Amino acid sequence: MTMDRRSVLGLGGAAAAGVMLAPGLHLIAAPNKTEADGNKRWAMLIDVNKCASDCTACTSACRTENNVPMFGDPTRDIHWIRKVELKDKSGRRPSVSLPVLCNHCEEPPCVHVCPTEASFVRKDGIVLVDKHRCIGCRYCMIACPYKARSLVYHKTKLPEGGNPDVPIRGSGVVEKCTFCVHRVDDGKLPACVEACNREGHGAMLFGDLNDPESEIAKRIKSVPTTTVRKDLGLEPHVHYQGL
Amino acid sequence: MVRYPPLRVIQVLLVALLMCAAPLAVQAEMGHNHQSGPVKLQKPKGTACVLPEEQMRRTHMDYLKHKRAVTVREGVRVRDESLKNCISCHPSKKKFCEQCHKYVGVKPDCFECHNYPD
Ligand code: HEC
Ligand code: HEC
Repeated sequence: MTMDRRSVLGLGGAAAAGVMLAPGLHLIAAPNKTEADGNKRWAMLIDVNKCASDCTACTSACRTENNVPMFGDPTRDIHWIRKVELKDKSGRRPSVSLPVLCNHCEEPPCVHVCPTEASFVRKDGIVLVDKHRCIGCRYCMIACPYKARSLVYHKTKLPEGGNPDVPIRGSGVVEKCTFCVHRVDDGKLPACVEACNREGHGAMLFGDLNDPESEIAKRIKSVPTTTVRKDLGLEPHVHYQGL
Repeated sequence: MVRYPPLRVIQVLLVALLMCAAPLAVQAEMGHNHQSGPVKLQKPKGTACVLPEEQMRRTHMDYLKHKRAVTVREGVRVRDESLKNCISCHPSKKKFCEQCHKYVGVKPDCFECHNYPD
């Protein structure tokens, strides 16, 4: 069997026995299949008033779920989500504590600068790094206004009691929050949101903005919310309430 | 003119005959047991692989790489066909995957990041 241009482009070949992957190789659609849905827009709403300054449930849940290591060197440590303390210089408002993570922008500058198309936006709005393609150039880290990305400087191992379902990383690639894409695809909440709920704070809300019936869409419509560095026009999908 | 001893002629003919028959023997073997030449593979669980065995032997790398791209980039996840699911029928990397890979000298770096029990 020869592979013609049409079948390489996925236009032909798909006719009879499923999709042709390579000569002689056919993919037959299986029932237990899920796929990113282009009609969805995953987003998060963080209620700053409910976030306790001494609580790190979200950041530690993230590390456990995604096997994110701590090297103990602040210039090299990887952070997918971190707690930030905001102080009002005039002292009129009390300081607030909030988690900062990848904002999964509608117009992500990290994706625009990536020379290898390793950074990309999935159909449902989740911004991801394909670590198989990343060359570690770090343009994205400079482009991101939220400091959401980290370069992996050291080799890592699956930690004791780590999560075998999430791959670890090779050194020399850039990584960041994935909105726990593996959990979202499985119909679950991101680990940080689940941990925040478990602590009884309920400061993080996750859902589909395109679904007008979703809790997050209703809240964003009814209460004043904002995004960080709105002026940049990146349309972040992490919204804040009470900031 | 050179004269061949009759015994030598028979020897040559026999070798030639064997050479014709060998591919048939190999083909017959492919369909049946799980010994790829000198490589000893752990017997898989279950009755059939995710694709026919002949295809799996030759094209599992293309298959896995194609799956990798559509899973990471399009979010297509087919539970039965994922790398994680290979483990349920081929539970040992050392006794299955690496037997072959060592023999043919390929070093997939997948398992530096993806978990597959030894
Ligand atoms: C449901 C059980 C099952 C799953 C899941 C499975 N296999 Fe198999 N595999 C088998 C069986 C059984 C065989 C023996 C051949 C046959 O009868 O089809 C086999 C054969 C093979 C062979 C050929 C071995 C030889 O004898 O030369 C390769 C390579 C292979 N599998 C790779 C994989 C990979 C890679 C995956 C994951 C994508 C996978 N298998 C998932 C059951 C499974
Ligand atoms: C029957 C022998 C055999 C078995 C069993 C086998 N492989 Fe392979 N595998 C090969 C050969 C041969 C290649 C190299 C093909 C090439 O380079 O053209 C290869 C290549 C690969 C590659 C691509 C490597 C690269 O750098 O491109 C991956 C991934 C892979 N195998 C995964 C697996 C996994 C996972 C298993 C166990 C479930 C497995 N293989 C079992 C023979 C085998």
